Amino acid sequence: MNLSVNIGKLGLKNPVMTASGTFGYGEEYAEFVDLASLGAIVVKGLSLLPREGNPPPRIVETPAGMLNAIGLQNIGVESFIEEKLPFLRQFNVPVIANFFGDSVDEYVAAAERLSDVQGIDGLEMNISCPNKQAGWLVFGTDPEVTSEVVSAVRKVTGLPLIVKLSPNVTDIALMARVAEDAGADAVSLINTLSGMAIDIKTRRPKLANITGGLSGPAIKPIGIRMVWDVFRAVNIPIIGSGGIMDGDDAIEYMLAGAAAVAVGTANFVSPTATVDVLSGIKDYMTTNGIKDISSIKGGLIWEREDL
Amino acid sequence: MQPHVRPVPGQFYLLRASETLDPLLRRPFSILMWDDTHLEFLIRLKGRGTHLLRNMRVGDRIDVLGPLGNGYPDPLKDETPILVAGGVGIASVFPLLHAGTRLFYGAMNSAELYLLDDIKKLTGNIFICTDDGSKGFKGNAVERLIESLDDLAVAKPTIYACGPEGMIAALLKFLSERGIPGYISFEERMACGIGACLGCVIKTVQGYKRVCKEGPVFNVREIVC
Repeated sequence: MNLSVNIGKLGLKNPVMTASGTFGYGEEYAEFVDLASLGAIVVKGLSLLPREGNPPPRIVETPAGMLNAIGLQNIGVESFIEEKLPFLRQFNVPVIANFFGDSVDEYVAAAERLSDVQGIDGLEMNISCPNKQAGWLVFGTDPEVTSEVVSAVRKVTGLPLIVKLSPNVTDIALMARVAEDAGADAVSLINTLSGMAIDIKTRRPKLANITGGLSGPAIKPIGIRMVWDVFRAVNIPIIGSGGIMDGDDAIEYMLAGAAAVAVGTANFVSPTATVDVLSGIKDYMTTNGIKDISSIKGGLIWEREDL
Repeated sequence: MQPHVRPVPGQFYLLRASETLDPLLRRPFSILMWDDTHLEFLIRLKGRGTHLLRNMRVGDRIDVLGPLGNGYPDPLKDETPILVAGGVGIASVFPLLHAGTRLFYGAMNSAELYLLDDIKKLTGNIFICTDDGSKGFKGNAVERLIESLDDLAVAKPTIYACGPEGMIAALLKFLSERGIPGYISFEERMACGIGACLGCVIKTVQGYKRVCKEGPVFNVREIVC
């Protein structure tokens, strides 16, 4: 059984990755999961300088999902390199540093620094945050701004570059093409969907930040549809995510066109979710006589002639 | 069941009764009592998650993650521990009860005073309060503490507390005014319980800290009101 997949020039022993922000810096899960058994570890999003994050309450459960407004709390690029990376380097697993910035310059500076150290195997850009210099317009919702920031980062890194796309757009295939044209080696999707919940007794928002990002099984059909849209629009690999709880969900994403998958909110429900997804994928392959996981990528069978 | 690690007072577990996708997340509960083969929790019925737990039957499987968090530190030799609990917060401080421990315990009404018989077996020094006056002192446990602490004339009182937000705010104010040391177990909405999601933070003098990892018990000096 061949489980290995390639994300650009980055080879993974299997297609199960962690979704940024749901797996800490890896160490939080080390007592539950053999980290070396994963395809890759994508760490909590990093900014050039540490971020305090939003005031609580930061999370609220919703039907088959959850809203979060953590506010990108993180220890910053330097502390990650000094305090967290040495631990991750003990394991034979690719480490992908997710990062973000408030401006193109901050993205570039973070990417440069992260590309400069041993032990980071790839970068994932979170472009779902606002651009301070451009009137708080979210980078990933405007094709021109996306192009500018991805091109700028591409110039300063030789590492495999993944662009994590926001689903809060009208045409995600367009955003994926823009990222590909700007030099991305892969795209990952979907990030959380913008959402909101209100306590009707107090009439107050359930999150201190008022709005937050929706994740979990509730968003899976949207993720599947968006991966399918993007798969027909680009030639670079897709990392599918959004509500993957088990191996069957992962297979569904791959049939829609994902080369690999990222497990997110499921880690909060069960700390062993990543390895459980992997064993579910193997079960599916065994049951269906599939020898190479790559063979099911985009294997959706459909009949409409007009697409 | 066989817990691999024995809990310490103040630690908690995440429980999940549902095997379906909704409700999705586990629910955190303080450990109430335990031995080698049992864990006991006090669960107040609040929403769907807790109702699912109530509807379980003997022999049903439950998904248990824990013990999690830090637990209460032991009092120093010369300190006198005083426990303060509001409502279901009694579960958190209950394992600290020893013969003669002083406990201030308040609830909305007498029906919401839990575990009274178990408590009385352990200590006679109980100060009961209810908001509606249906049992004991009329008012909350902190008001009662403020009124009686000096009369107790104990050496170096140290507070161990868990309760609703309003009670904790009043307690923090009193302890800081009087310079009395204490430890409080905090509650915050939680997802992973193991320090990864950063969902359950509270404000401390050193910035946000995770209730599930650096807590749930915090030294009162750390807390920013």
